[in-house]
This record gives sequence, C-alpha cells and structure tokens, in this order.
Amino acid sequence: MDFGLSEEQKILKQTARDFLTAQCPNSLVREMAKDDRGYSPELWRRMAELGWMGLAFPQEYSGIGGSFLDLTILLEEMGRACLPGPFFSTVVLGGMTILELGEEKQKRKLLPMIARGDLIITLALTEPGSSYGNSEMTTKAVADGGNYVISGTKLFVPDAHIADYIICAATTAEGVTLFLVEGKSPGISYVLLKTITGDKQCEVTFNKVRVPRDNILGKLGQGWNRLQSVLRKAAIAKCAEMVGGAQRVLEITVDYVKQRVQFGQPIGAFQAIQHHCANMATDVETSKFITYQAAWRISEELPCNREVAMAKAWVSDAFKRVTLLGHQCVGGVGFMQEHHLPLYSERAMGAEIAFGDADFHREVVAQELGL
Amino acid sequence: MEFRFTAEEERIAREVHEFIEKERTPELLAETLELGAIYGGSEGRKICQKMGARGWLCPSWPKEYGGLGASELVKLIILDEMAYMGLPFLFGGASMAGPAILRHGSEELKKEFLPRIASGEVEFALGYTEPQAGSDLASLEMRAEDKGDYFLVNGQKTFNTHCHVADYHYLAVRTDPNAPRHRGISMLVVDLKSPGITIRPLTTMAGWRTNEVFYDNVEVPKRNLVGELNQGFRYIMTALDFERMVTIGMFRRLFDNLVEYVKEARVDGKPLGKNPIVRQKMAEMAIELEAARLLYYNLGYVLAKGEAATFHSSMEKLFACEVAQRVVRVGMQILGYYGQLQQGSKWAPLQGEMEFQYRWSFLHTIAGGTSEIQRNIIALRGLGLPLPRA
Repeated sequence: MDFGLSEEQKILKQTARDFLTAQCPNSLVREMAKDDRGYSPELWRRMAELGWMGLAFPQEYSGIGGSFLDLTILLEEMGRACLPGPFFSTVVLGGMTILELGEEKQKRKLLPMIARGDLIITLALTEPGSSYGNSEMTTKAVADGGNYVISGTKLFVPDAHIADYIICAATTAEGVTLFLVEGKSPGISYVLLKTITGDKQCEVTFNKVRVPRDNILGKLGQGWNRLQSVLRKAAIAKCAEMVGGAQRVLEITVDYVKQRVQFGQPIGAFQAIQHHCANMATDVETSKFITYQAAWRISEELPCNREVAMAKAWVSDAFKRVTLLGHQCVGGVGFMQEHHLPLYSERAMGAEIAFGDADFHREVVAQELGL
Repeated sequence: MEFRFTAEEERIAREVHEFIEKERTPELLAETLELGAIYGGSEGRKICQKMGARGWLCPSWPKEYGGLGASELVKLIILDEMAYMGLPFLFGGASMAGPAILRHGSEELKKEFLPRIASGEVEFALGYTEPQAGSDLASLEMRAEDKGDYFLVNGQKTFNTHCHVADYHYLAVRTDPNAPRHRGISMLVVDLKSPGITIRPLTTMAGWRTNEVFYDNVEVPKRNLVGELNQGFRYIMTALDFERMVTIGMFRRLFDNLVEYVKEARVDGKPLGKNPIVRQKMAEMAIELEAARLLYYNLGYVLAKGEAATFHSSMEKLFACEVAQRVVRVGMQILGYYGQLQQGSKWAPLQGEMEFQYRWSFLHTIAGGTSEIQRNIIALRGLGLPLPRA
C-alpha cells in the first residue's frame, strides 16, 4: 500500500499549482463564463507548451508517455483552479476515445495535433429525453456510397461550438457507431446552452451531415461497448476535478473561520464550526483516496468497474456536502457572486450529473455486488 | 501509488485467514461476542496464544520482545483479517498498554511484560475512565500517593471493560494533585489480583459486561510506574495518536452476509435484492465500507512511514465508527420485520447478528473517544483551528 505521489507526480502537481495560480485566477474564470468561446487561446497555447495535452499519450504520438493516474493529478489541479476551456473535452473525451478506439492512421494524425494544442475535439453522446447510460441513439447514420449521412440532435456536448472535430455516437444498421465529424461540416448547427457554471455545453443538430466512411472510429456497431472504458476514465477524470475543488473549498473555509471574529473570538474556535470543518476534511480525504484508487486501477489496466462506480458515487455526493458546509461556515459573504465559493458550489452541481450521477453509479455497484 | 498489498503482506493476510478458519469454533465465536470483542476468556486465550506464537499479536515489535519486526501496516492487516473472520478483538495489552511500555517504559518493565503480551500469555484492561472523567479525561481523580517504595492507590474507575477477564490494569492515576491537571497524571501497571481491588459488573445494552472498579488502599510497587512520573497524560495522548485504529472488518463480513441474504430472500414474490431502493442502500454501504477501508490502510501507510498520525487516526476512527453504525442501521431497515428477531429465535435472519450489532452499535461513536472529540482533534490538529477562549 502506497498512498503517496511519486517524485515526478509531486513535481507535476506543484508545477500545475504554480502555473494555474498565476495564469488562471478566478477573474479569468468569471470572464470566460461570460465569453462565448469560453477559453483563452493564449492560456491554451501555454498549457500545450508545458506538454499537458499530451501528458497521457504514448511518446510515439508526440505525447509524454505519462499514465492516466498522472493525468488525474493534473486534472485535480485544474479542478482546484476551475480552469475553463476545452481541456477535458479534447484530452479526456476526444483524446482517450481516439487512443482506445482509433486505427493507427487516425491516431498518428490526430493525437500529435491534440498534443501540440492544435486541435479541439469533443464527444457528442447524450440526446434529448434519454438518460445517461442509455445505449439507444435516435441519431442515425445511414450508409450512402463511400459516406455516411448523420441526422439527429445531441445535447450537453461540451465545447462543440469551438471543436475542430466532434465524435458523434449514432445508430447504424450494425448498432451504435462512433464517427469523427468535422466541426464545420455542412449541416451541423449549434446552440450554446446557458449553464449553472458558465461552461460551454451545446445542443448540436446534425442535418444530413456527410461523413466519409474512413472517419468511423473503431468498428461499425461496436461504438457503445468500446466507449465504456472511455466513459469510466471520464468519470474518474471528473472525480479528480471535484477532489481538487473540494480541497480548495476546505482551504477557503478554514482560512476564513480563522479570521472571522464573532462573539469576541474567531468563529473557528467554536465547536459547531470545527465539526463542520472536520466533516469537510473527512469528505475530502475519502474522496481523494477513492479517486486515486480507481485511477490507479485504470492505469494498471486492472478490472475497475466497481472502483470507478464507487468513486463517482461517493465524490459526487461528498463534493456537494463540502460546498454546502463551506457556505454554512462562510455565511453571507460566501453568498456574494464575487466570492470564490459559488464557483465551486456551482461546479459541484455540474460535476455531480456528468458521466452518471451518484444514483446511476450506485446501481452499477449493486450490479457488481451481484444483486 | 500502489493500492494493493505486497506479496509478503498478502501471504500474512492469507495465513491469518486460513488459520482462523481452521481454528475458530462456535464456542470461540460465541465467547467473543459475549465478552464484547475482548479476549481473556478461556477460548480467546487459547487462540490468542497460538497467534502470539506466530508473532501476530505484536508484529511490529522488535523480535527480542516477541514481535516480527514488521511494519505497522502488517499489524493493521492482521487486525482487519481477524475482525473479518469473527475475532474483532480490542487488545488492551498488544494495542494499548504494550506500545506505551515499549515506547516509555523502563527496560525492566519491557522485559517483564512485552514478551508475555506478545505471546498472548497476559492481557491488560484499560483504566482510564472515571465517573466524572469521560471525554475530559484530564479531570481524573484516582489518587496514587508516594509511600516510598510503593504507591498507595484509592479511587474509582468505570466502564473498564476488560477488568474481569484481564490480568493487569493499565491505570491512569493522579500523582500530583497540586500540578496543573494535565501534568499530575501518571501511568501504572497494576496486577488486578492485588488486595483492595473490587470489580463490579455493569451490563450494557448489547448484553455484554463492563465493570466499575474500586481501589481501596491498593499498594502498587514503584517499579510498575510506566515512564516518568506525572507524564501520563502525554503518554495517553500519544498512544491514541498511534493506536487509535478501528477496523471495519467485522462490518464488511456482516455486510457480505447481508448481500447473500438479499439475493435469496423474497418479498412480495421478488428477490429483495431486485428492489431499487434496497439496491441503492446496499451500494451506498459498500461504498462507505470501501472508503473506510482506504482511510484505515492510509493510516497504516502513514504509521509505516514512521510519521505521526496527527489527525489521521482520529479521522479513521470517526469515519469507521459512523460507517459501522450506518451499516447496522440500514441493515436493520433492509431486514424489515425480521431484523428485530434475536439469535435463536425462529425466523431470525443472519443468526440474529444484525439485531445484536444494532444494540452494540450505539457504543461505537462513544467508546475510544466520542465522534465529537475526534472532530475536535481533526479541527485543532489537522486543520489548525484555534482553541476556544476559556
């Protein structure tokens, strides 16, 4: 049992902490929430120079050859900083899908572009009226000579409006298949949705969009099954962001209650506040380990269905509890829009429902128990 | 990071598992529950001596004192495996008095007691709590007067659970009534058969026995002082940092049994385990047990590195005990009508163990430091929050 970071991981974490503290202040986070594009191309460029986009890609695809666990450590820092922009969609949803499903030719073409920061890519999965985990896609792809023609509507597609490619899950005669669709293809239209966190999620409508047969990712009809391991990674990547956010909320709260004086002493001296803070710390600590365990199992290519579901269920609930108690301790000041806390409490909500909420993952755990 | 045991740790866990599987008898399991998970009864002593012979009671101690020279993590692995297999012993000697003697005691005391603790020959009872000194342990009043070559001890202890079956008392006494209250406490090792000690039973709602203990002019030899005079409170606090660890192994097994039960049991013609609410509750328990297991082994990792577990032990204790309570409470909900049935009753599910554990569970968040005290420690030592103004 080793619950610690390696020396390289410590350096990665510290580098990310320092960089994001300097380059991604909360003022930028707020600015980007209002900005239609939703990210700073300049910051994106610098992150690419640090090698972050290719951190978990093999070196043969211009990556750094790090593990998925390394990537979660970076994502933890991004969650701490509330980093806006398409890193998650491009690297986790796009990059991991190409890495796992793509043919050699596709990998050689696309992964180095992602690693260099030259490509934004996302995944279009959810549809109106359909729950997370539903494999029945109403979006259809029909063969037409050397092309497929895609029609349908996708919802909650992150960063689709700025994406160079959208990986679209659509039903073909053989079953659910993944297509690499160019973002500017004729027939695609976007509606930017206004979300609680100001992140950029879109409704994407495919109106007879023609896609060359070569752009199929993986095999015809195998898209859904092959996507499951990517979605497990996405769930844990989201957990990592939540862990970073929860840790920051605890720090903000503890700093505040040490300073804030009421009844002639810091409120942090009162047991009511101390017990809230202790509960927050316990949620942060358990969230960290349950996430790291799942990330480690993914990195080691061990069976991880149970551990991933446990982590997403637990952390989804725990992060919300942490933000709730943080607000309770910080009081009226934390309710102000310009305070740091709302950034996190809003993200706790957004992250809870992403890639399966706690109820969804508890059901997976029940299945893993053999029930 | 490495979320698995080494091959050597795996081997020990497997050996302990197989050993208990082979050695445990219905009499042993019954005695363990009847005594509230302490050993000192005839069956408990038998198996503990066999485990002691293998070095499993105090694996992290040096070999000269009967240990294996293994890491603290190995100790946690063994305790967890024992608890899972139905022997959730709380060791007064191996886990509490022994480590304090090892850390602070004279060479004479070490030689006299450590090998006998490690071999399972003698067991200790903790003598901390008094009627007016619970969470506020520093207010203890049991008096030990210096009479030259012995201490004369007078006063009362309560909830000293091991006393009627243990051999020695690891006793906190006031040796300087004029010093600030934290600095006038010392630790003594007392033979429980000493003249002047009266042990009276108290029966808990779980059915097992604890004790109140009266000292009436009990003479304790000076050499039985552990460490320095008037440093006792510090020793107790350090000990709690290093030895406050709660395995949820017993509850993992209870939960595993419950999983089997809900797979089989049918309600309204359907397996209980197909009920969506039951599934959610079962999953939540499994997740909480996993989170508790991770905190437990993280504590082992911290201790094995030789670092002070300033708040880790409190957090582990807090979380494990509250999870244990939730497991039995939710377990009782899931068992419905049948949950209320006691062992031996017709229709009792899981041999009535959930019902018994339910009655016991009220204690988990009280004994060994209440949940509130653990939260105070996490806040003060872990998060650096200020002490309240007096």
